[in-house]
Amino acid sequence: MLEALHLTKRYASLPAAQDVCFTLRPGQVLGCLGPNGSGKSTTVKMLTGLLEPTRGEVLFNGHNIRDNLSAYRKRLGYVPEEAHLYPYLTGWEYLELIGTLRGMPRPELEKKIDSLLNLFSLHAHRHAGVGSYSKGMRQRILLIAALMDNPDIFIFDEPLSGLDVTSALIFKNLVQALGQQGKLVFYCSHVLEVVEKVCSDVLILRKGVVIAQDSVANIGQILGQSLENTFLHLVDDVDTVSVARDIVTVISAA
Amino acid sequence: MNFPLATSITHRCEIFRQRPFARLVRLFAARIFHGGGDDDSEGLDLSIGLVLTLLALPGGFVSVLLFEKYGSLLQWMRGVIDFNPLAAALPDEYFFIVLSMVVTGAVAVWRWDSIFPDRRDYFNLVPLPIPTRSIFFANLIAMLYLVALLAIDVNAASSVLFPLVVCASQEHIAFFVRFAAVHATCVLTASIFTFFAVFSLLGFSMAVLPNSVFKRLSPYLRALLVIFFVALLCTSFALPNFLQRLPATPPWWTRLLPSTWFLGLGQSLRGEASPALAALGAFALPALASVVVIAGGVYGLSYRRYFSRIPEMTEIAASRGSSRPSFFVSRFDRVVLRTRVQRGCFHFVWKTLLRSESHRLILSAVAGLGLVLACQALMSAFAGHSAAAKVAVSADALSVPFILAFCIIVGLRLVFEMPVEMRSNWIFRLLLDEENHECEPMARKVMLVSTLPGAFLVFPVYAYTGGVLPGLLHAALVAAWSVLLINAILLRFRKLPFTCSFPPFRQHSIVTLLAGVMAFFLFAVVTPAIESSALANPAWMAIFLPIAAVAWYIPHRIRRETMDHERILIFEEVPSRAVEVLQLGD
Repeated sequence: MLEALHLTKRYASLPAAQDVCFTLRPGQVLGCLGPNGSGKSTTVKMLTGLLEPTRGEVLFNGHNIRDNLSAYRKRLGYVPEEAHLYPYLTGWEYLELIGTLRGMPRPELEKKIDSLLNLFSLHAHRHAGVGSYSKGMRQRILLIAALMDNPDIFIFDEPLSGLDVTSALIFKNLVQALGQQGKLVFYCSHVLEVVEKVCSDVLILRKGVVIAQDSVANIGQILGQSLENTFLHLVDDVDTVSVARDIVTVISAA
Repeated sequence: MNFPLATSITHRCEIFRQRPFARLVRLFAARIFHGGGDDDSEGLDLSIGLVLTLLALPGGFVSVLLFEKYGSLLQWMRGVIDFNPLAAALPDEYFFIVLSMVVTGAVAVWRWDSIFPDRRDYFNLVPLPIPTRSIFFANLIAMLYLVALLAIDVNAASSVLFPLVVCASQEHIAFFVRFAAVHATCVLTASIFTFFAVFSLLGFSMAVLPNSVFKRLSPYLRALLVIFFVALLCTSFALPNFLQRLPATPPWWTRLLPSTWFLGLGQSLRGEASPALAALGAFALPALASVVVIAGGVYGLSYRRYFSRIPEMTEIAASRGSSRPSFFVSRFDRVVLRTRVQRGCFHFVWKTLLRSESHRLILSAVAGLGLVLACQALMSAFAGHSAAAKVAVSADALSVPFILAFCIIVGLRLVFEMPVEMRSNWIFRLLLDEENHECEPMARKVMLVSTLPGAFLVFPVYAYTGGVLPGLLHAALVAAWSVLLINAILLRFRKLPFTCSFPPFRQHSIVTLLAGVMAFFLFAVVTPAIESSALANPAWMAIFLPIAAVAWYIPHRIRRETMDHERILIFEEVPSRAVEVLQLGD
């Protein structure tokens, strides 16, 4: 079980996340929603141990993750928001590096890389430099890197970014399958339909504060509307239809 | 006051600046400076002003240092009465020509990837309603503008200051004007020649080679050019004196050095050229015209062959490779790299060294410097000796492997500080243990693998020329000294190479530089000198044992006394603060 207890992060006294609390149980797929600047990425970085909270702690199975970060990270698979990879390494070499640093035995590592590259349709390009990959291909490399050591916790930050329709569908089914296997999945996204479809629970952040947290079904029931409308209702006071109409007016103006 | 003509010209200029073609020229000029490239790699991006200032500095700085040589009062105090500034200026003029060529060449090599429009330009510009020929000519004009700017910037300071220094004791302004004009002609033509020569090589390779082969060969071509420029710079120390004593027919190899052509051109324009220099000078203008014509031709050809075909080229280059490590690599991993961190990081470091352009170029430059110094030492060793056995145990000959080892070790240490793709280091932040990171032993193994095979090669070479025992002792000494230098140079090293930001300039940086020069002197000059004497009686080689013990013990002691917080793995180099807050209230 992963617990975020009163997580607070301040950058030079400006709060990026404030008193964020939630629990992630085995089998649970927790979606994290919020507009830009709501503190999603800061929360994710604190969950991965990349950022030390100003206050609060992250507990994994009752232990503070910072007490033994290496052991925690061995059980963590993380897909960051942007696919920053070393462009001069080939896809195979990058995955080999990750597998080696994770301490995977060589035969198992090679077998898994080979199979996963095949399943993610990257096998033909495995010896091409990552710098020449498209955004979707880089994203698939990151997904393989997160999955290949079979970790217990998955943290996905905008994992569908750049993926084609087939890969995105595969991934959505994969997330549900991981949940069914008893893995802990924390899923950050802007795409509300995906969160609605793949997540069992949802956490909505606004200006660094948790403003709603419940199962997807409950949140919709309480407000009697879809997740998209609920999100807009809670987070933004923008009339999206009228903004779209204004844009058309501006571009049509002589 | 109102100036209608000036206002009108300004207005017309402004209108021209906003035209699509002028906007394109500005776009390409900025791109050549700031870099293009198909990937999102982060290069060393400096502002134009800073780059131009840095490029102009060496010429001005060296000119000022020459005041001491040409000052009439100082000449008089030295007892020199019939001082001929033109004759005295020849070596310095040669140096300025070489400097101008090296700096311009270095910029051309540095911006190699940005000179031609690339895939990004194609997909941004071609869909717009702009004729393709406008893109072609706009890039050409941007390039010519860059050449002119570069040539003027690199040589501006020396074109004014150097003639001022040389002509300080002359009474006639005409002498100064003439000297300055000839000097400016020489250095400017040398600069322009170098840029177009590098550009011709690039364009020719792009036009002739298939795209995939060019991409593979390009880094090696650049590395070769860097080595050539370092070697050219080194000729400025010895060659001018040689050129002054040239026979009427210069040796064939002097014709291969473009710097001598431009020196000859200058001397011919002043009417001071010896027959040999006049002969060399005759090459300068035809060579310049040839490279300009060739550059123009290959630009058109490679543009047609490369840029126009970008949409036909696949984004992902066809590649071959093996998914399984070779037998040697698996054995090496099993025996030498025992932990997962060392295995993963060692291969990452090697691949970066071999594939990152900037790292390879810096390393090539340092290795090239080592090669030139080693060649110089070898030439000194052979001067005046004929017996190979005697040459082999001379201090100069013994210093060759020490010089090469020193340059490789220091070069590696230098490039370890240069980050690559900083945003991609998140994976190491995530997977490496900050306290038990093993970066120092891993870096040591990279350095040992790079130097020790060379040290072992020393044995057959010196055993063949100087005898088995001297060969064995020398190889052992080179290996031991390399290990000790690596041990010392990695003191307090707590970063994974290439993943940490650039170290800030610290007050002790100059001291570090001086310490480096001193270390080179001890490593590559004093040690071979002692060794040369000791090899006369091999038992005397024991003198190196206590020295080695001290050289091992001091870093060992410092390492033991390093506090825990100073061992933690870092990814950011934070400058030390003037005032440390104790945070006693926390």
